[in-house]
Amino acid sequence: MATTAATTKVPEVRDVTRIERIGEWRRGAPGRPATSLFLAQVSQGMVGQLAARRAAGVVLGIREERWRAQADRGPAGTAKATPWVWGMAQALGPCPTLAGRILSGDEQDGSPDPGLPQVHRGSDKVRVEETEIIEGEVVEIQIDRPATGTGSKVGKLTLKTTEMETIYDLGTKMIESLTKEKVQAGDVITIDKATGKISKLGPLPLWVPLKLAHPSRTKPFPGPDGELQKRKEVVHTVSLHEIDVINSRTQGFLALFSGDTGEIKSEVREQINAKVAEWREEGKAEIIPGVLFIDEVHMLDIESFSFLNRALESDMAPVLIMATNRGITRIRGTSYQSPHGIPIDLLDRLLIVSTTPYSEKDTKQILRIRCEEEDVEMSEDAYTVLTRIGLETSLRYAIQLITAASLVCRKRKGTEVQVDDIKRVYSLFLDESRSTQYMKEYQDAFLFNELSETGRRHPRAPALGPRGGGG
Amino acid sequence: MAVPGWLERLRAAEKTALLQDGRRKVHYLFPDGKEMAEEYDVKTSELLVRKWRVKNALGAVSPWQTEVGEPTASAGGVLGSELIKESSSNPIFMRKDTKTSFQWRIRNLPYPKDVYSVSVDQSERCLIVRTTNKKYYKKFSIPDMDRYQLPLNSSALNFAYANCTLIITYQKPKEVLDAEEELQRELKKADHGGSAHVGVLIKLPQGPAKTESPVQTPLF
Repeated sequence: MATTAATTKVPEVRDVTRIERIGEWRRGAPGRPATSLFLAQVSQGMVGQLAARRAAGVVLGIREERWRAQADRGPAGTAKATPWVWGMAQALGPCPTLAGRILSGDEQDGSPDPGLPQVHRGSDKVRVEETEIIEGEVVEIQIDRPATGTGSKVGKLTLKTTEMETIYDLGTKMIESLTKEKVQAGDVITIDKATGKISKLGPLPLWVPLKLAHPSRTKPFPGPDGELQKRKEVVHTVSLHEIDVINSRTQGFLALFSGDTGEIKSEVREQINAKVAEWREEGKAEIIPGVLFIDEVHMLDIESFSFLNRALESDMAPVLIMATNRGITRIRGTSYQSPHGIPIDLLDRLLIVSTTPYSEKDTKQILRIRCEEEDVEMSEDAYTVLTRIGLETSLRYAIQLITAASLVCRKRKGTEVQVDDIKRVYSLFLDESRSTQYMKEYQDAFLFNELSETGRRHPRAPALGPRGGGG
Repeated sequence: MAVPGWLERLRAAEKTALLQDGRRKVHYLFPDGKEMAEEYDVKTSELLVRKWRVKNALGAVSPWQTEVGEPTASAGGVLGSELIKESSSNPIFMRKDTKTSFQWRIRNLPYPKDVYSVSVDQSERCLIVRTTNKKYYKKFSIPDMDRYQLPLNSSALNFAYANCTLIITYQKPKEVLDAEEELQRELKKADHGGSAHVGVLIKLPQGPAKTESPVQTPLF
């Protein structure tokens, strides 16, 4: 057992944020108020697509009216899916990431499994409940790791108020969230005992020279006093699905955390609906309309579509947003063709927003934001070249090149990415169309090629084959 | 008497009693959905355990909250080990009544004797334990005194410290003693015939039991 004292735990903690991958479509830092999110030319990391964004603005406006569904279609690489989720999530107010739930059509294996109803119920939120919290100033955190590197960590946390001190034993999950929140000695934190949610209230003046940080504030922020454990009436947000789970089985909360919920009977769901409606009448609970986002919606099968059809008619239906890049194609699970692979009767219930390919100006803007996000300096010429690449191949490919080019630049000890760096990575990494071209030319050299005119197959790979791909 | 509000509530509750292991176990289900379970020593009629359980807004049943007696160890399990719990080296607080007084024991208190002080807070109707070295602080109310709506009196309070344990004693006022005696009489009435068997469930009569003879409905 290697024991690390509180003071030395910091370096390991710091690295967590740096490892985070920047999502492919994330083009700007979130956090600014989302007032004119969908109207400015560049806003909240969204560039161009003015018409589609106006439509999204309207969606937000009438969300209050519990308006139902919308489909989002357009050619590949035109910012249908992920930026939408980002944009909507930021504009949705009190619980943005909770309200949006992503169910990728790919994950559906065609069977009408409990997943879809569950996600559907999970996207609507109800606000009720109370919880027990611990509030105190951190005196010491001690985390013990097994010397072998495997097995669970255990730890101790000492909290104090002006009146008392208590030692707590920590479980694995709690250690993780303490690490993630970067809790250190001197911080005042609250811990929700039931869910383990930690919030940092900030350090005490004892540990931060307050006069330096805020010269105007002279009154020190008082530390917590009295007993450590407090029962607080807190407004709590739970989804309908969570209420379903609690009421469907005797083990209640345990099932919710272990994830094994089993089948929830429709009678239970109906009862819950009635109960929630009652709470709403009494003013006890408030319902926050959810947003259910389904990406690659053409991958849902006919049974799922039938479910959605019916679900959209219910009182508790969330706003449904779907995205697809298919044209007229076969509906999964049938032999019928339909626009976007969605049955006509469901399409009829949707509003359709179309996205268009990016213009040169937009592409450049996106690449600029992206470079900023990745901390890459780039010369003006390199931007132009990269924009060209983005227009001729795909925006995704151009974005991938940024990181690669900055690595090449760093290798030659440059500070700013130049055209040569771009050229170099462009020759090193193939885009989709060049790769296809290459494969067409050398198809004979690959195993199991099916394009060969003669139908002749090569049972063994010739010398050229394995060396093909990346160069 | 202005106090019998609590006794009236007990009478209105649906009661089930059980004699087991030398203890009389009584379960009360109140009209508002709250549940209370009590255990008495059969010989001395001392209250050993009293715990409460309520249903929360979502319909889930909360774990039992111990008011008197040793708190049952939390279920632990998967959830417990993942999150946070108080270390076993912390002071343990429990209530253990005697016939004539309410008594609390705080074990695992290693500090010297003279750091402790116990006082009555009239405005919040609670007792406060303080330590001058700022290591322990506890604020607790006496639910019995709240139920009978009696004022707290600091002269009834005293405390002693020995063997790492702080014992706080509060003399039961006369009203409480009278009410408890009456409750014992009613509980005992239910025993006629049933008391010889171990583990007999008895539905206690509802409403004023004084006027009618106890009705026994064994459940099995």
